[in-house]
Amino acid sequence: MTRLLLKRILLGVLILWAVSVVVFLATQALPGDAARAILGREATPERLAALREQLQLGEPLHVQYLSWLGNLVQLDLGTSFSNGMPVSELLGERLNNSLALMLCATAISVPVALLAGTYSALRRDKAFDHTTSVLTLVLAALPEFVVGIVLVLVFSTGALNLLPAVYVMTESGSAWSDPVQLVLPTMTMVLAVSPYMVRIMRATMIEVLESEYVQQARLKGLPERTVILRHALPNSIGPVAQVVALQLAWLAGGVVIVEFLFRFPGIGFALVDAVNNRDLPVVQTLALAIAAVYIVVNLLADLVSLAANPKVRSAQ
Amino acid sequence: MPSRGRPITGPSRRDFFRYVAAGATAAGAGAVATGCAGGAVRKAPLPSGPPRYGGRLRVGIVGGSSKDTLDAHAPVTHPDQARVFQLYDTLLRFNDNYEIEPSLAESVESDPQAVTWTIRLREGVEFHNGKPLDAEDVIFTLRRISDPANPQSGAVGLTALDRDSLRALDNRTVRLTMLRPDVTLPDQFAQYANGIVPVGYDPDRPVGTGPFAFDSFEPGQQSVFTKHRNYWREGEPYLDELVISDFPDDTARVNALLGGQVDAIDQVPLGLLRVLDADPNLRLLESQTGAWLPFTMRVDRPPFDDVRVRQAFRLVVDRQQMIDQVLGGHGTVGNDLYSPLDQMYNSSLPQRTRDVAKARRLLKEAGKENLSVELVTSPVAAGTVEAAQVFAQQAAEAGIKVGIRRLDPGEFFGDQYLSWDFAQDFWFTRNFLSQAGNGSLPESPYNETHWAHPEFTDLVQRARATTDPAARRELIWRAQQIEWESGGHIIWGFPNQLDAHSVRVAGLGVDRSGIPLNSYGFRRAWLAR
Repeated sequence: MTRLLLKRILLGVLILWAVSVVVFLATQALPGDAARAILGREATPERLAALREQLQLGEPLHVQYLSWLGNLVQLDLGTSFSNGMPVSELLGERLNNSLALMLCATAISVPVALLAGTYSALRRDKAFDHTTSVLTLVLAALPEFVVGIVLVLVFSTGALNLLPAVYVMTESGSAWSDPVQLVLPTMTMVLAVSPYMVRIMRATMIEVLESEYVQQARLKGLPERTVILRHALPNSIGPVAQVVALQLAWLAGGVVIVEFLFRFPGIGFALVDAVNNRDLPVVQTLALAIAAVYIVVNLLADLVSLAANPKVRSAQ
Repeated sequence: MPSRGRPITGPSRRDFFRYVAAGATAAGAGAVATGCAGGAVRKAPLPSGPPRYGGRLRVGIVGGSSKDTLDAHAPVTHPDQARVFQLYDTLLRFNDNYEIEPSLAESVESDPQAVTWTIRLREGVEFHNGKPLDAEDVIFTLRRISDPANPQSGAVGLTALDRDSLRALDNRTVRLTMLRPDVTLPDQFAQYANGIVPVGYDPDRPVGTGPFAFDSFEPGQQSVFTKHRNYWREGEPYLDELVISDFPDDTARVNALLGGQVDAIDQVPLGLLRVLDADPNLRLLESQTGAWLPFTMRVDRPPFDDVRVRQAFRLVVDRQQMIDQVLGGHGTVGNDLYSPLDQMYNSSLPQRTRDVAKARRLLKEAGKENLSVELVTSPVAAGTVEAAQVFAQQAAEAGIKVGIRRLDPGEFFGDQYLSWDFAQDFWFTRNFLSQAGNGSLPESPYNETHWAHPEFTDLVQRARATTDPAARRELIWRAQQIEWESGGHIIWGFPNQLDAHSVRVAGLGVDRSGIPLNSYGFRRAWLAR
């Protein structure tokens, strides 16, 4: 178990490094550089030369990359090309805001989806099951920006004027200080990740309910509640955890579109901005952060499956 | 196909655009677009009576990113521009009709040769930190803008300035000389990127003489400004506080206005006009401008090095159709000449209209039948990509194949910027000499068409050195005639500026500069109850 964990962590670090190389090369392949992007239409040769000098863009590529990587190892994320602020300072608040969004989305979607899936399985082919089935299919097919726009239409700019349509900065800069503004982006993300979880929970639960040990438990005369909570649920957690993990990992990337739509000051918004500005230190850092979320969440899912399944656990 | 007049009327303007146009047309210069469409929407009445003091105005501005700056002399994006107008004042300024008028300077006068200039400053102007404005601040500012080691936006317009000649005659008077005569100096002094800053200016703690003082700034997000209590204009500003938020996304900007999270937005997306117009509590603000979205043909490279090809390309354009399809009817037709608002604009030249037969004939004479060209486009301004598509259709009818190559702005402004054979660009309102200096002389920094016409250059140089308006007009008219006959721009129209605001917001008017929301003139804005 410990060896497996160590192996996975090592692999994770390797993947992160590979991501940094790919992202570095990809941003270099983008036409134009940060100086061009910053000056845009105002890029006279004189002003370009002056700015490139300031940003030290004249250095060869491998020198730029190695100095960035070297600083990273010392936990120094470098400074943003766009505004000269330290990347850690620039992204600190953003990361905090995105985490707020992701945590809210997770806290709502996971229990709701697992409950809905289980209930559907128990009420198989009844009205609730059918409704859930259609609803999750439709939601799964809709891109999240469509879901977001519909929510805005319904709750802020159309019939009801209940919730803010876009995010407007608060005095403190932290998303936690004004939870009302989190509602619509959170709902959008919940609706984007829940359908798969509901469907997989239902399918797994049905399979488990039809298994021999559940039949056995029922034949033993155990109350239905005990059958479900003690026997069925734990056995369905393993496979479901994998899908839940994938969906949560998606949140880290999917946050880009949702944040852009709601003008939410998080890492997704910052990433779009940094790519447009060719702000390499920021793009690199964000790509690594998102990749790290993927890796960690998947690792956690593996652990949950292992813990839920003694057979696999003892085989290691 | 008829060969004269306007043979192709194209699909008629779509109904919703007509509806919106009716609702938003400004009733002439100086009038606020009141949006009385008379249709289903009953608009709430505009606030009337004397301006009310106090309150906080929240505006949503297009664009912006983490590269946002508060530097008076380096604005790039619209939010940068909007902030510069609040924090700083220029020596002179453009009024709503794009005429130059005094601002921080009472007068800017030259000798008859346009070489030695005297700037006389207004008395009793105070910076946000309480320091009085004096001649040294003006000298510091002009040196900062034109610093050869770190040239700022306005440096291009000040190349003729002799930096070493700047000196203060007294507290309120600055004397300077030019390396060569230049009557456009007042024009440069009125450009928003040339705001006056105090000696020792630090953009991280920006101080100016503008109507609003700096409070807080989050690049790419929002900035907050507070009323400058000792502002030199009597009675202004009316607002206590101003919040400027960046909105790179059109949908978010419009949603914020509809949802009441901002009170005004600039650059209404044409596709969303109807939504805004249908709201009784919102007003559209529409201004005719001198801003332009040209196609640029390189006159030094084939096939456009042949003047007949350039003329043919200009003749295939159905200008009214461009206005209707690209701008939804919100614009005025162009005649391949820029600076239509300049008092010296050559209005004697005939309006060029579509003539496909003549275009074909010219191409045949040039030996360029069945011509195939690549048009490089990018969404660098609203309407550019759409204009490219409409142009490709119109040119096809004259047997010209136009392949459209769409790039993202980063690539468009990349290493090949200003060297594309056939591309597009965008410009705000400018007067002729200032515009020619920026883009139509061999040494101009943005000479997209690589225009280097000796006679044209000579006329422009002479006009710059001519202080007598009548003589200058004659030179400019001749220069424009040359450009009209053989230049490399296709200037099909001038888009209107379209903004929107809540009915609570008063004081913003029509403005011809092309700079949104009455040149971001929030010093004149006030909030009704």
